[in-house]
Amino acid sequence: MSVLTKIARRNIWRSKKRSLIIMIAVSIGLWAGIFMIAFYNGMIEQRINSAITSELSHIQLHHAMFRKEYEIKYELPEGKKMLEMISNDPDIKASAGRIIIKGMIASASGSNGITINGVMPKEEHLLTKLPDKIIEGKYFDNHQTNEILISKKISKKLKINLNKKAIVTFQDKEGNLASIAFRVCGIYKTINGPYDDANVFVKINAIDSLAGIPNSLNEIAILLQSNSTLDNNQKKLQQNFPNIEIKNWKEIAPELGLTVSVGNQMAYILMGIILLALAFGIINTMMMSVLERTWEIGMLLALGMNKFKIFVMIVLETIFLILIGCPLGLLLALTTIVVTNHRGIDFSKYTEVYSSFGYKSVIYPSLTMGQFGIIMLLVVFTALFSAIFPAIRALKINPAESLKK
Amino acid sequence: MKETVIDAHNLSKIYDEKTIPVYALNNVHLHIQRGEFTAIKGPSGSGKTTLLNMIGGLDNPSGGFVEINDTNITALKGNRLIDFRLNNIGFVFQSYNLIPVLTAKENIEFIMLLQNRPKEEREKRVAELLKQIGMEDKVDKRPVELSGGQQQRVAVARALAPKPQFILADEPTANLDSIAAENLLDVMLKLNKEENITFVFSTHDQRVINRARRVITLEDGKIVADTAPTKIEHLLYEK
Repeated sequence: MSVLTKIARRNIWRSKKRSLIIMIAVSIGLWAGIFMIAFYNGMIEQRINSAITSELSHIQLHHAMFRKEYEIKYELPEGKKMLEMISNDPDIKASAGRIIIKGMIASASGSNGITINGVMPKEEHLLTKLPDKIIEGKYFDNHQTNEILISKKISKKLKINLNKKAIVTFQDKEGNLASIAFRVCGIYKTINGPYDDANVFVKINAIDSLAGIPNSLNEIAILLQSNSTLDNNQKKLQQNFPNIEIKNWKEIAPELGLTVSVGNQMAYILMGIILLALAFGIINTMMMSVLERTWEIGMLLALGMNKFKIFVMIVLETIFLILIGCPLGLLLALTTIVVTNHRGIDFSKYTEVYSSFGYKSVIYPSLTMGQFGIIMLLVVFTALFSAIFPAIRALKINPAESLKK
Repeated sequence: MKETVIDAHNLSKIYDEKTIPVYALNNVHLHIQRGEFTAIKGPSGSGKTTLLNMIGGLDNPSGGFVEINDTNITALKGNRLIDFRLNNIGFVFQSYNLIPVLTAKENIEFIMLLQNRPKEEREKRVAELLKQIGMEDKVDKRPVELSGGQQQRVAVARALAPKPQFILADEPTANLDSIAAENLLDVMLKLNKEENITFVFSTHDQRVINRARRVITLEDGKIVADTAPTKIEHLLYEK
């Protein structure tokens, strides 16, 4: 075996230029593939983190019918007591109660369908850091009641500026139409354009009585200390509140879970395409190498090197060729990921495009150990796949024919 | 009693059998004894290389068979045939004989490595052969750093290393100048005498023919003469 390894290793350097081209191609391909996966990861992680910390939280509690019909009558009458119990759990970082009503916001310039989020200002601050998203004006004042936070998008669309009045209309618990005039105290902007299009925030006590559910809640949102305790905490809550619908973020927004799995699949498919293209390049190079050495391989067969050893020699040669290119590609990829993970890649020029899909314009690429392992397996598979065809070609060489040349 | 090493029976090789048959070999009988130093001569296309390929198990005859020490190698296939060649036959080709990425020493050692011979045995044999071919100072040179004559001497040493039944050499001096060719012949004759190794050459080279113990002449795929050179010719050319 050692003589085969020796021959295979030395054969790589017989055509230095050709081998270097393949090694560089492997390095660049690997770098591009790994970085692309890391970039995709960064995007998905940001989207999920943003969705959890700003929109969904880890877990939400509702009346069993609420999410089906979004009607205010499906309340949590004991909501505030439940919230108090929940907030004492050490696994829970923050929690807040809300009243969620589908309604309409109107100004002199027009109207827009919206979700009215009646929030507890202090708790919401801890849960979703809503004040951090305010770009004009300020967060809710303790002494003012009829204040509303609208998004920049709604502000533009309805031409409602800071301190101006907006009329919010909705159906109360009994199905009667109710309207309230709010003064715009702040204008917010998140990274999620569609979310901004559809959400306004008011204080919970400004809306609960009019909605017909005073001191009640429609929703309790919970932010955990760590996503890793999600399943356990969901189970625990379900045991404590058996008649309440308790859903985690993946169940509330299945499209996000889908984004993760589709994103991973897409990244691996693209990586597969890159490696397949590389494989064909390598197969071509190795085929040329085998055909150029027909005489030599014929001589080895004549001397008594059996077909298995010839096969192994060509396979080893191909694998060495790929594996020499790998460390450089890996080093390049990991360096790029470390640097960009620290600094971020700024796509501010395309903020609107990214925002319309709910993504930030600064991406922080990242790679998990599991993904790294899968990439390594794909590389090994590519090496073996690329090695087989030239090796089979070498086995077809007839020593008597090749020695005539 | 002499021992027959190569026994070729009714060997034929026909190309284009279905259209216009061309006889590369036509019903050839050949018996070669251990220790012979035999040259096969003939014009181009007379079937010298084809005959050597049949004897070496590199090509299949259209008719007849070859026995090496009573083993019918024509009946052997695939890796069994390759293994037989590995353990019984040494080859020296016309040119580009050596594995370019291995040194002279590694080339000589190569077949013994394929045979999984112990390291001590390999090293002893390589040292012995390097001395016999007069190339102790070229141990670590790669083929590209050796002259054509030196390369052929390494190829002969490689063929001899595992002590095969016989060595087949296809025009071994064809690409060598006269001095290198004479040196190579000296080495081969010496090894033939000292180790009683059987040599069979195909050649055009009169120097090789003149120093052979037995000369077989092929024409149009048939043996037309099978003689030993005259004593005077031996005295003239053998050193």
